[in-house]
Amino acid sequence: MSITSALSSALSGLSATSRQAEILSSNVANATTPGYARREVQLSAAVLAGTGQGVAVTSVSRDIDQYLLNERRYAQSGDADRSLRSTFLGKVEQAIGTPDTPGSLGARLAAFDRSLVEASARPDAQARLATVATTARSLAAGLATATADIQQSRATADRQIAAEVVALNTALSQVQDLNTQLRSFTGAGRDVSALLDKRQQLIDGIAAIVPIREVARESNQIALFTTGGASLLEGKAVQFGFSATGTITPEMTQALGGLSGLEINGRPIATAGSASPILGGRLGALFAVRDDLAVTAQGKLDAVARDLVERFSASGLDPTLAPGDPGLFTDQGAAFLPANEAGLAGRIRMNAAADPAQGGALYRLRDGLAATSEGPPGNASLLGALHDALSGPRALTSTGFTAGTRSFADLAADLLSDSSGLRLGADAETSYTAARLTALTDLEDQNGIDTDQEMQMLLVIEKNYAANAKVIQTVNDMIDILIRLGA
Amino acid sequence: MRISVGDASLTSILRRQGAFLKDEVQRASTEVVTGKQSDLGAALRGDFSPLLAIDASLSRLTAYHSTTQDAAFQAQAMQASMATLTSLSGEISATLMRSIDFPTPAQVNTAAADARGRLATAVGVLNAQTGGRAVFAGVETGRAPLGSAEDLLSALQTAATGATTAGQVESAVRGWFADPLGYAAFYQGGAGLSPIAIAPGETADLSVTAMDPAIQETLTGFAMAALLDRGVLAGDHEARAELAHRAGLTLHVSQDQRTVLAARIGTVEAQIDAAKTRNTAEDSALKILRSDVGSVDPYEAASRLQTVQAQLESLYLITSRVSRLSLTEYIR
Repeated sequence: MSITSALSSALSGLSATSRQAEILSSNVANATTPGYARREVQLSAAVLAGTGQGVAVTSVSRDIDQYLLNERRYAQSGDADRSLRSTFLGKVEQAIGTPDTPGSLGARLAAFDRSLVEASARPDAQARLATVATTARSLAAGLATATADIQQSRATADRQIAAEVVALNTALSQVQDLNTQLRSFTGAGRDVSALLDKRQQLIDGIAAIVPIREVARESNQIALFTTGGASLLEGKAVQFGFSATGTITPEMTQALGGLSGLEINGRPIATAGSASPILGGRLGALFAVRDDLAVTAQGKLDAVARDLVERFSASGLDPTLAPGDPGLFTDQGAAFLPANEAGLAGRIRMNAAADPAQGGALYRLRDGLAATSEGPPGNASLLGALHDALSGPRALTSTGFTAGTRSFADLAADLLSDSSGLRLGADAETSYTAARLTALTDLEDQNGIDTDQEMQMLLVIEKNYAANAKVIQTVNDMIDILIRLGA
Repeated sequence: MRISVGDASLTSILRRQGAFLKDEVQRASTEVVTGKQSDLGAALRGDFSPLLAIDASLSRLTAYHSTTQDAAFQAQAMQASMATLTSLSGEISATLMRSIDFPTPAQVNTAAADARGRLATAVGVLNAQTGGRAVFAGVETGRAPLGSAEDLLSALQTAATGATTAGQVESAVRGWFADPLGYAAFYQGGAGLSPIAIAPGETADLSVTAMDPAIQETLTGFAMAALLDRGVLAGDHEARAELAHRAGLTLHVSQDQRTVLAARIGTVEAQIDAAKTRNTAEDSALKILRSDVGSVDPYEAASRLQTVQAQLESLYLITSRVSRLSLTEYIR
């Protein structure tokens, strides 16, 4: 009787070691698979009718540090949020242009300033008047290009929000499906490690979009909440709603209409401010870019454009103009009205009357924009006045910058310094969140598959297998001896 | 207690450090090659105002470089015209002043004919265009400031009709030059040129026109003598000699006024020269400052490149050594 038990114990040992080898091979094969958690075979002594009877495989466990996982996901959200913001602010800085880039706003302004000085020394020289017109056009174009860049970023953010919302909805419904499968498989007592891996990967993907909290429920079920408090999955996944806008102009905002907000199951939710449940991840950052950062940057650009327009339309500057007539710079050809400040930087144009490219005549730069015929060619008083208007101090009429009087060049410098300062601040925050994410990812990687350790285990498994086989062989010999006794 | 370290941990650390070092190498080598900061905003800590102010000043100095040239050219042209007027009047004024002693009308006639020719030359000098623009026409740079000398004389002759003494002719001529409907109407130019900006906050005043009293006085002198050639006071030898004498005197007196005017233009020329020198000095100073603010120290960048290169090589060595450390290699 006990010989047979010895044989079956040895057999259970063989099957346990085979199972260990199987799991080990899976670990080694997935050594570099992201999201794969190390498996371990849990053994216990098999008990049959109150006595020991070999070894039994109780379960296959997944080696997961849930606390670390949550921390890493949170860091991942924060990093996605910060890096998106600092990328955008970097784009704004580039759109305005630093002094070392050709075509920067500062370079265009300096060229315009220079051309006015040169033209006022020789107002009769056609070439110098033409340079004034060219550089004035280029200055207006510089503001328009920066506006286009910023609005392009807004449109891109809007499209990305739509894509992220689709990804979020897909991932949530997949997690819901996996929850269902896990419930039935767990009930049936099957190995669910692969499904758990899959679900963990999906949730990692969601965590980059919105920061989430994972709450475990019984029989391998989970519920998901955003850290802001919105329920994403509790048995059933919620549905996010968003519709992308084709063309975005500076005047369009979510508050004033024209841009879509975010909905959860058809209910609108806040996308900014402390009440918003989605802040802290990529989705929140994209909304911040579209509705806050880009709008602020555009506002500053518009303030600069308005200052430029108003400097040259001041009454008394050009005696040929009636009050209310557009000056050297216009709002798409018309006089600027303070109510239309939003988006002015994109619409600013040089006055067509003095722009040969728009059918105007150069002499109007010298003799007045409404002059009907050429005046004395040596008259430099208007050109001198234009230069004074550009370089003189003037009180700012728009908000967005600190109040006070400054020259237009100072205002342009403030615009660049301001955006550069914002970008550097965001960069500093990004490097902090990136370092935190790196540290946590490193810790997670350390918990991953160590092939050396697996090889060590393999040696042990090999030895155990040989020992169990030896036991079987010996028992066989013993049974043979017994049989020969009877012969 | 955990006793294993995942393979991915080491690979990702090596990969990250490799990427970081390569990024540093790229940054340092770009800075060595271009001499510019790779991130200007960070180097200036976000404050671009000083750098932009330097750039704007440099750009404006380029403009002043060309405006000082324009102003210098204009002043030089004026100075040359004044010199011509002086030499024209200097030669004849003495002859005319001596005319009281001329025994024969023929000598007065010769001097008068000479004066008439010189008047034409003087008007021509004042009407001359240099660099495509009239010098003494003020803002009306496109046209000659005065009509022809003959038109001038005709107008004066009309004004002097009925004058029988030299004194009457002289007061008629002077009256015409002072009359807003006389010389002022004959003058075709405009108001004086606006001051030209030649340096930051500094302008050169070159507003001299043909209306300047010194020029008027010179023309008055020439015209009085030239009228004799047109037959004024015909037959009265003494009155003609007297008028010639008065013309010589007027030219003589105008010499002082021209000297004052030339000195005034000379002062402006000196001012332009000084501004030029100052602009050049400021340009160099700003360029030095610009390279201090916006550029990298090449020595610093090069030594940084060297350090990072050594670090990257060590990392490669470590990567190759560490990847050979595998139990699998030893349990065959």
